[in-house]
Amino acid sequence: MARLNHDTQRMDDLLASVTSDLLNDLPQNLNGNAIHVERILLEMVRPDPVQPRRVLPESIHLRFHQNQITPTQAMRELVQIVQIAARHRGRPFNNLLELLPNADDERDDEPAVNLTPEEVFLRDLVNLAITIRDDGQVNPLTVVDVSQGVTRLFRIETGERRYWATWLLRDFIPNYTGDGMIPCIIIPANRSSVFRQAKENTARSGLTAVALARQAALLLLTVHSYEIPAYAVENDFYRQALELDLRGKREYTDVVLSAMGGMGKMQFSQYKALLKLSDEALELADRYSIEEYRLRPVLAVPAEYHTEIMRQIIDFNLSAKQVKELCDSGNADQDDDDVRKDISPSAMKIAKVAQSTQVTSAQELARAIMLQEGDSAVAKARLQALRKLITEAERYLGAE
Amino acid sequence: MTRVFVFTNHKGGVGKSTSATNIALGMVQLLRRANAANPRVLIIDTDSQGHASLVTTGRKDYGADDSLYTVLMADRTNAPQTLLNCIIQSQWDTDLHILPASPMLEGAERELMGVAGAPYRLADPVSKIANQYAAIIIDTRPSFSLLTEMALLAATDAIVPVEPRYLETVGLTSVIEKINDIREGWRHPTLRVSGLLVTKMDSRIRGHNHLLAEVKAHPVLGKLLLGVIPANEAVSYAHSSHQSLFTYNPVASASKAYMQVVASLVRYLAKGGD
Repeated sequence: MARLNHDTQRMDDLLASVTSDLLNDLPQNLNGNAIHVERILLEMVRPDPVQPRRVLPESIHLRFHQNQITPTQAMRELVQIVQIAARHRGRPFNNLLELLPNADDERDDEPAVNLTPEEVFLRDLVNLAITIRDDGQVNPLTVVDVSQGVTRLFRIETGERRYWATWLLRDFIPNYTGDGMIPCIIIPANRSSVFRQAKENTARSGLTAVALARQAALLLLTVHSYEIPAYAVENDFYRQALELDLRGKREYTDVVLSAMGGMGKMQFSQYKALLKLSDEALELADRYSIEEYRLRPVLAVPAEYHTEIMRQIIDFNLSAKQVKELCDSGNADQDDDDVRKDISPSAMKIAKVAQSTQVTSAQELARAIMLQEGDSAVAKARLQALRKLITEAERYLGAE
Repeated sequence: MTRVFVFTNHKGGVGKSTSATNIALGMVQLLRRANAANPRVLIIDTDSQGHASLVTTGRKDYGADDSLYTVLMADRTNAPQTLLNCIIQSQWDTDLHILPASPMLEGAERELMGVAGAPYRLADPVSKIANQYAAIIIDTRPSFSLLTEMALLAATDAIVPVEPRYLETVGLTSVIEKINDIREGWRHPTLRVSGLLVTKMDSRIRGHNHLLAEVKAHPVLGKLLLGVIPANEAVSYAHSSHQSLFTYNPVASASKAYMQVVASLVRYLAKGGD
């Protein structure tokens, strides 16, 4: 050990012999630990796995961050999902450029096409990619240098859509003439924080209620000293925040609420509470950008009904009042035992079945009735009787 | 812009690998001492003998999947990612990284003959990762081949190690002419000869002193003289123990001389290569 210390001292002396004048006129471009812009190889940049704002569908997001698929494969899967959705709606496409609206084909008398969220997302991504191809990327990404050893890695703080648009452009859109690099503002790791990311997120429009709920959770977990992982997390990670609040962390209250866009404590709690929604309901609410006030009543019903109610909200574009009525009626038949006693169990069963028409198909129902009755004529008769019953029930509802 | 130094001379045994590896390590340590935000230095070993790889990583059995050969054979689009995957950390310092050579590089030139854009197969991927390093140092083989041409096309600065012997100095001008040919012929205007490094200088030999004096007096070569490294037993002992000269014996005369060269190069980096 003595020998080692002696050698270290001699090495220090050697370095000191050449550094005295060097340190005097120290090169600014060497020791700058400031924020700076650089062009970085696309492969060295990765989106933040715990970013509350989801860009990709959840299944692709998770598999990409678990390194099961490459960025190119992620984009290919996204394109395939959108192609299937578009084909089901009778507007198949082979080339991504077909997604872009063509001004020559648009007519005023044609009804507006209702695109799925995935179609809208991919169309916007293609649009962004074309803009980058034709005009260059004007706005750099913001990334944090999280390199370790020989692994050079930059985690995206803002600009994940631009990142995916560049991959789409590189691998799926013709006439890409770039060099596989992307301009980035590099933030030193010690200057990165979830508060900063939250401010960037909440400053933008179009942030979904579910993204805000995840954002609130992430801030709460941070101020309660939970370790924020560097890998993809499922909703249960964010749900840990349901047991936390700002009461024990008063010194952080202002900074947390400010990072959430200046919202009040009540609003913060309301967003956080959305994490009580079931996984599937959360994904639907996020994908279809359902607002917090429309989601709030859903929290009052048991989790097994969340998905069904969410589908009703989406399919019928229910207002907050309608959602509340829907949820209250669900609760009412639990609460009002007297009324329940007057209604036969068979009627209750049929009423329950009416809640799940979205999760089955006509073909499936026909097969089920055939299986039950064993004869197509009897099956038809059963369906006719059911139709008659429903028609009469509708008449009663109209009268009430 | 990251400077890429290529150590080249088509004469063998002049100290190219010794100079490249020790100067690279010296740069890392000096940059770190100067609190540089990025003290990382990358060595690219283009010599199939793999001496630079051996002394800095302790092995030279790199092959088709983990060496410069892999990068040269990669699909053009994937080459930068392949390059990143093949870079390893040296045993000398965590911030000194190596793209190791492979004996397979012997056949690489034959395999790449006739491949479109072959001379740029190193320059292209290197240009895309260069800004991750404070400097890149390329060690070359002792011949003027396609691999040396690739190294020069990837470089911004050529440093020519030379022994102070008559025939060596005669060949020096032809090395410089070759570098100028690359600059003009391949339209690579950023490449320049930035230094002449006299190695294995023995001041007890009258011929060495005479030739060093001639180099110093020469109107072009004199201005290029970057440093004079004395002949020193510590160099060979450091090699055999796979240690850097600075670690093996920091007070050896060669260590002190190399550190002076390192200081000049770091100053050069700090001025942005002016």
